[in-house]
Amino acid sequence: MNARDDARKMGAWLDSVHAKGDPFAAAIRSTRMSMLITDPRQPDNPIVFANDAFVHLTGFPREEVIGRNCRFLQGPETSRASVRKMREAIAAREDVFVELLNYRKDGEPFWNSVFISPVKDESGEAVFFFASQFNISRHKDREHRLTTDKNYFEEEVLARTAELEQALKAKTMLLHEVDHRTKNNLQLINSLLMLQARRVTDEASRNVLRATQERIEALGAVQRLLYQEHNVDTFDLSAFIRDLAGNLIAAGGRTDIETEFQLESIEISASRAAPIGLLINEVLTNAMKHAFVNERPGRIVLAARRDGDELRIKIADDGVGVRKDAPDHRTFGTTLIETLARQLRATLKRSDGNPGMVIEIAMPLDSVSK
Amino acid sequence: MIARKPLRVLIVEDEALLALHLQECVEEAGHTVVGIAATSREALELAANANPDLAFVDIHLLDGTTGITVAQQLVHQCKTLVVFMTANQKLIPGDFAGAAGVVSKPYTQSGLMSALRFIERCMNTRTASGRPPSSLTLSKNYQERWHVPP
Repeated sequence: MNARDDARKMGAWLDSVHAKGDPFAAAIRSTRMSMLITDPRQPDNPIVFANDAFVHLTGFPREEVIGRNCRFLQGPETSRASVRKMREAIAAREDVFVELLNYRKDGEPFWNSVFISPVKDESGEAVFFFASQFNISRHKDREHRLTTDKNYFEEEVLARTAELEQALKAKTMLLHEVDHRTKNNLQLINSLLMLQARRVTDEASRNVLRATQERIEALGAVQRLLYQEHNVDTFDLSAFIRDLAGNLIAAGGRTDIETEFQLESIEISASRAAPIGLLINEVLTNAMKHAFVNERPGRIVLAARRDGDELRIKIADDGVGVRKDAPDHRTFGTTLIETLARQLRATLKRSDGNPGMVIEIAMPLDSVSK
Repeated sequence: MIARKPLRVLIVEDEALLALHLQECVEEAGHTVVGIAATSREALELAANANPDLAFVDIHLLDGTTGITVAQQLVHQCKTLVVFMTANQKLIPGDFAGAAGVVSKPYTQSGLMSALRFIERCMNTRTASGRPPSSLTLSKNYQERWHVPP
C-alpha cells in the first residue's frame, strides 16, 4: 500500500512538471505505442506512468498497474531466459530489446516486443526506466507458419527424393538385367555356332561357321564394354581395340605376333559401337591372316586418334605386304567392310608399309559420337 | 614335359546349351566332366559325390543368384578350385568368395580354351607361366598364390 502511494505520488509529480503544452508529454500520452515509465529508486522498480496504449494493449486499468513491477505481464509460457535478459540489462542500467510472451488481464497471451532504456541524470544515476511495448503476435504467427510450412515442404521434398531414388534404383536394376540378358544371349549364339561347327564334317562349312563365330565374338567384345558403370551411352574405343586385338591374336594361337597400341581415349556413341566394332574386326582379321602367313612372326601397330572432326584408325603390320600377284576376289569379308564403311561414312586406304601394309580408316566423328 | 593330369570338372550352369558347349570344350582339352548342375542344391550334391578338382560356376542359377554361395561351399567343403562364369561381374564380392577368378560372358572360344590351359598349368605346377589370358580375371588371392607377375 505504501509502495503504491509512492508510485502514485511520483506519477502525479511527473504530470505536474509535464503539464499541458508540453509536446513531449503529449506525444507519450497519446501515442498508439504502449509506453511505461518505472522508478528504479523505489523498491522493486514500480510503474509510475502508463499511457493509454498500454492499458489498451494489456487490458489492465491504470489503477491496477501503477505501483507494480511489470512482471505481472509474465505468465506460465513466458521464456525465463528472456526475463533473465531483461533483469540483467536493467541491473546493468543498459538498453535492452526483448521479444517475450506476455498475458493480458483476461489471460490471453500475446507476443510482446519490449524495449527498455534507462533515463540517467547528470551524475549518471538511472532515475527512471522508459519501456515501450509492441504486439507482434501476428508477426510471430506468420513466423511460426513459415517454419511449419518450411518443415512440411522439407518433408515432402525428402519423400519425393526417396521415391525418385527408388525409381532410379529400379531402372538401373532393369538396365543391368537387360545388359545381362543380352550378354547371355550373345553367349548362347556363340555356343550354338561352336556346337554346330564341331559336328559339321566338311571343311568349307566348318570354316563358314567359324568365320561367323568370330564376327559374333567381336559383337560380344562390344557388348562386354557397353554399359560400364560410369557411362551408359558411350563406348571406350581404345579399350575395345585392345580387347579385340588380344582376342584375335590368342585365337590365332600366334604367340609370335607382337602388338603395339597408340590409342587415344575416344568415346563412341553406344549406338555406333556394333558397326565400328565389326568393321575394325574385319580389317584386323584380314590384316593378321595375310600379313603373317606361314608362321612368319611380326608386329602390328594399332593406332586410333582424333584428327579435327575425324576419327582416324591405323593398322600397320610389318608382314608380307601387298601381294602383287594376289587374285582380286570379292569375299563376304570385302562386302562386310564396304557395307559397314558406308554406314559409318568411312574411307579405307591401303598402302605400302615398306615392309608390310598400312591400312587407314577415316570417318567423321559425328557419325560415331554424340 | 610335365605329364598332364586330366582334371575332374564340375559345370554349374542353368543354360543347358552353354553347359553343353562348356562340356565339349573341357573334354576337347583332355579333361573329364563329372557333372552338370543347374541349381545350387544339385551342384553341392554332385560335388559331395564326385569331388571335382575344378568347377565352372555361373552366378545366376535356376534358384536365383546362388552361385556365390555354391562357390563358397565348394571351396570350403570340397577344396575345389572355382572359376566364376558370369555376365555380371559386379555381383562378385571383393574376395571372390574364395574362387580363383572369373571368365566374363560372352567369352570367345579361344578365350575359354586359353583360360582353361592357364588354370590347368597353374594347378599342376602351382605357379603361373606368365600373365593370365585377357579372358580370365584372377582374384588377388590367387594372383599371389600362383606368383602371377604384375
